Amino acid sequence: MTGRGRSTSPRRQPGHSRQASNDDNISDTRQIEAFGRTVQATASQLIFPGNDQHGTDPYKSALTSVQRQLRRPLIQRSVFSFTQQSPRELLRGKFSTSEVEHRALSYIPQELIRTAPAGQSPFSLFEGFKASLPDTEDDGRGGRRKRHGRNGSKLLEGPQEHKGPPQLVKMKRERDKLDHRLEMMGIRKTMCASEIREIDTKIANMNTMRRVVLERLAGLEQEEHDMEVEIGDLAERVAEMQEMLEDEEALAKQSPSLIAEGEAERRAADKKLETEEDDEEAEADMDASFMSESIYGKLPKAQESPRSKAKRRMPKRTISMPVLHEHMEPGTKIRELQAHNDVITAMDFDAPFGTLVTAALDDTVRVWDLNAGRCMGMLEGHLSSVRCLQVEENLVATGSMDASIRLWDLGQADYNPAQAAASNNITDKSSEAEDAEADKGSDAALFTPAASVADLASQPPPQGDAMADCHLFTLSAHVAEITALNFRGNTLVSGSADKTLRQWDLEKGRCIQTLDVLWAAAQAQTTTVNTSAAATPASESGGWWKSGAGRLRGSAEAAEQAEADFVGAVQVFDAALACGTADGMVRLWDLRSGQVHRSLVGHTGPVTSLQFDDVFLVTGSRDRSIRIWDLRTGTIHDAFAYDQPISSMQFDARRIVAAAGEDVVKVYDKADGRQWDCGAGVLAATAETTSRPSVVERVRIKDGYLVEGRRDGVVGVWSC
Amino acid sequence: MGSLPYAADAESPLKPAELQVLRAQYEKEGPYISLQTKFNYSWGLIKSSSRPDQQEGVLLLSDIFKTSPERRRECLYYLALGNYKLGNYAEARRYNDSLLELESGNLQAQSLGQLIDEKVSREGMVGMAIVGGVAAAVAVGVGMLVRGAQRKR
Repeated sequence: MTGRGRSTSPRRQPGHSRQASNDDNISDTRQIEAFGRTVQATASQLIFPGNDQHGTDPYKSALTSVQRQLRRPLIQRSVFSFTQQSPRELLRGKFSTSEVEHRALSYIPQELIRTAPAGQSPFSLFEGFKASLPDTEDDGRGGRRKRHGRNGSKLLEGPQEHKGPPQLVKMKRERDKLDHRLEMMGIRKTMCASEIREIDTKIANMNTMRRVVLERLAGLEQEEHDMEVEIGDLAERVAEMQEMLEDEEALAKQSPSLIAEGEAERRAADKKLETEEDDEEAEADMDASFMSESIYGKLPKAQESPRSKAKRRMPKRTISMPVLHEHMEPGTKIRELQAHNDVITAMDFDAPFGTLVTAALDDTVRVWDLNAGRCMGMLEGHLSSVRCLQVEENLVATGSMDASIRLWDLGQADYNPAQAAASNNITDKSSEAEDAEADKGSDAALFTPAASVADLASQPPPQGDAMADCHLFTLSAHVAEITALNFRGNTLVSGSADKTLRQWDLEKGRCIQTLDVLWAAAQAQTTTVNTSAAATPASESGGWWKSGAGRLRGSAEAAEQAEADFVGAVQVFDAALACGTADGMVRLWDLRSGQVHRSLVGHTGPVTSLQFDDVFLVTGSRDRSIRIWDLRTGTIHDAFAYDQPISSMQFDARRIVAAAGEDVVKVYDKADGRQWDCGAGVLAATAETTSRPSVVERVRIKDGYLVEGRRDGVVGVWSC
Repeated sequence: MGSLPYAADAESPLKPAELQVLRAQYEKEGPYISLQTKFNYSWGLIKSSSRPDQQEGVLLLSDIFKTSPERRRECLYYLALGNYKLGNYAEARRYNDSLLELESGNLQAQSLGQLIDEKVSREGMVGMAIVGGVAAAVAVGVGMLVRGAQRKR
């Protein structure tokens, strides 16, 4: 009877099938199950007639109930679906695992199907297939065709006399074949072009995604920085608490009568601590209340406790590493600061988005927070302008024209970012508007607005006493201006216009060694076999400094304020010292012996910048060239020429950057060997504005984070 | 849309050497495979007479469908043809009908629709005949049992 049920329906209503099949995928199984249940019920009634109440006609009643079921539209639809699917397919779909897997993998959701756009390419994929397929056959035959041709031609030569037309026919056929192939080529070209278009749209989508994720990264970095500040604060508080407790214990050991006093005061201090905000005045009060005169005098650690006055340590990025600049397009501007109003003479920073110290001819040294773009304070103490400086984590060494070197510890600074933010809020809106116009890249929105020229004038001097406690000590043994310095670990080496290099121990603050460059140069010349140098050693050594200065005085570049420094650049590493001098020589010293063990000859002008790593030594000089020396052999590895004298150069793992007397920074990528320009001048060149940015004087780079200092006192930060 | 293959085209398998060439091209291109190569290989697979190959061809085609939106309408047709050859008539009908909804004037899609109907009804008939015959046999057998039980009483 089930067979009867099935056989009637498709004949009766063939038209329904198409409409019904569309949405019966879900109702399928349910109705089939229901159908199956009724079948079971009728079968059981047939086989066990004894259970039936009606007694006489279980068969008829079963049949009628089945027919009633069948007439229901849902059941009919499910039966129709049987017809759509064909039983073999059904079985396969339900029971064969590979089949089920395959269907799952190749399943395409209805949404995608419905929204399929009309194809815009003139050729279908199938035509492309046909176009490519004959080629494969031809290629297979192509190689053989020549042989065929040869054999064929031999064959043809024989009957050539009496079989003209077949040869013509054959040639015509070949021509047609080639025409066909040409057509196919056209089709394949169009296919490739349409593919390229699709890939382009995909790339555009990916770029938008990249921008979104980059913004997210920027937000996270900002949060990270804020969190580090908080952690620093809390760590300080913990340390303070611990000190207080320890002092308490020490007190307790000494005299029990003072315990009660101390405890009372501590309770008062605790109450104050609980109620206080991040306020310096409250902490000052606490100091006064806790350490009254009597207790102060009796504390065993009296020398150290004054230091425990609450100091807001500058948050140092010990755990998190800012990597935002690595993901930006090379050459994007990160920030621009009007650091000074005069030529920047020296500049250095400790880490990307960290602390920047700049010095200019206006005799000031400013400390900047690169993350927020704000001036944190000034390092005061030098009597004259600073010519060289270096920043290494919290330590800053500055060498100035007053022949002294000062060491500063930025960790002692009293920088309160919250206060600085409050003072900057007034000017933020104006600077935001300016930045929105000025900045072309979309990365402008990622960063807090940089302090513009207006800011410098309007904002109050950023906590004049912020850096007051930073100064550690002064090294003053030189007798002329310090022109170059470099320190590493506990050793600092400085070069000065008094033609000496001095080595200092930073722990003790004393000069360990003095190296006389002229004497060493004379020594080297008398011992070398070089005839031209040995000819007139005295006049050479005396004359070459004068001639250097004379060359510069005679030059028409009156704007060049820095004369050729006797010692243009130094770098120290353990016991190895490299110095570049005004005679264009680079001398490698051994600090243990105090002798020059190698001189690198090559530059024809004073050396202004120098840096070495374990393999190469790179020097930049006023002879408009940068030279790369191989330290193992002492010979030149590579050299680059520029249009103007190089005033500053530095390299990191990937690139060498140089300030070559232009308004852009010259970047050489060691990986691709490519030279390109980075900086404000690039944008100005393309935008053709009338006001060009001024010449770059100093550059510093670390991990792709490039800082440049210009002649008008503007400092630009770029991703390189 | 350009010319689409008739169903008969899918029935003629390629020579194994040709298929091998297509496979080599497909594998040579590595991760940055071009659309045409992928299609060529999958179409070659669909044309073959072994079922696993046909299944792989359909898989590749559905991949093409998902990755390149421009080619989706054609892919519907190829997928319908591939599934028709595999015997998954429900899927084939789904794709074909969707294609006809989008492009009602497509001759190949219409002819494919007719082919699918014919195949399904034929198989359905065969299946029904078998099932009907089995059911009839079961009914007869059960009837005999019942009569036998009644007679025993």
